[in-house]
Amino acid sequence: MLSCKQVASLASQYLDKDTSTPLNWQIRLHLLMCANCRRFVRHLKITRTLAKNIELTDNAIDTETIWKHLQEKIQQEKSKNENNHSPENKSQE
Amino acid sequence: MDENVLITLLIAGDDKAFRYLISQYQALMLSIARAIVGDVFADEIVQESWVSVYKNIAGFEKRASLKTWLLTIVSNQAKARLRKESRMVSLDQLDGEIPGSYLDNTNFKGNGHWQHPVTSWSIESPEALLEEKQLQICINKTLNQLPPAQKAAFILRDIEQQSFEDICSILNVSASNVRVLVHRARLTLMQVIDRYQETGSC
Ligand SMILES: [Zn+2]
Repeated sequence: MLSCKQVASLASQYLDKDTSTPLNWQIRLHLLMCANCRRFVRHLKITRTLAKNIELTDNAIDTETIWKHLQEKIQQEKSKNENNHSPENKSQE
Repeated sequence: MDENVLITLLIAGDDKAFRYLISQYQALMLSIARAIVGDVFADEIVQESWVSVYKNIAGFEKRASLKTWLLTIVSNQAKARLRKESRMVSLDQLDGEIPGSYLDNTNFKGNGHWQHPVTSWSIESPEALLEEKQLQICINKTLNQLPPAQKAAFILRDIEQQSFEDICSILNVSASNVRVLVHRARLTLMQVIDRYQETGSC
């Protein structure tokens, strides 16, 4: 018989249908008899569902700055390729 | 924006479409770079990845999804850097149980049974929980404080719904480690919900 600790460690795998058949049965058997673990697994499942639908608030992505850097880099590489003979005397950043 | 439309615009060299792409994927790419090479190099890796995306987008074939393609690029850039720096980022968040976490030994009796009853929740409907603005704030805050590998594994699995197989190769970790990372992240978020149910705050 699995212990609660074992069930708690395996709970994600169980929910992701990632446990072998015998193990799956052992977990189910435990859940039949243990209200605490039932609640634990239920809450974990809710957590997973919640996560799926969560609106991620990303710490302010500065698209324009990233875009500007990107353009600079592309320009640098272009001029490097065009003036392969002359040494690079412009240094940016 | 429809992916096919976006790809067509990108291939045609539409700047606005590219800026849109950045705004959509910068955060995700950053969490992946952080998980692989750590904070110090992550920004640079993502910046280099955008250059590579910009240069190669014209040849993008729709065999893979745009997202998969982007994730592969940032993952490869980060792995290359890791080799160059010839150091391994230790997944120290895999060592032992975090004190205070659900799997902490102190939560269990000697025979492996729960020491205390699992906290009950007054709200159990996901729909109702999603309405709770403060909870969303708490979850976001916690997510951003997770160790980088946990955060990336969790986002890829539970938010982006990628397969474990893909997550392993993107993050450069073994299959069993990915599972551990995802489980740990979920348990941490579950504790946030525990606290929210009890106190109404983080
Ligand atoms: Zn139990």
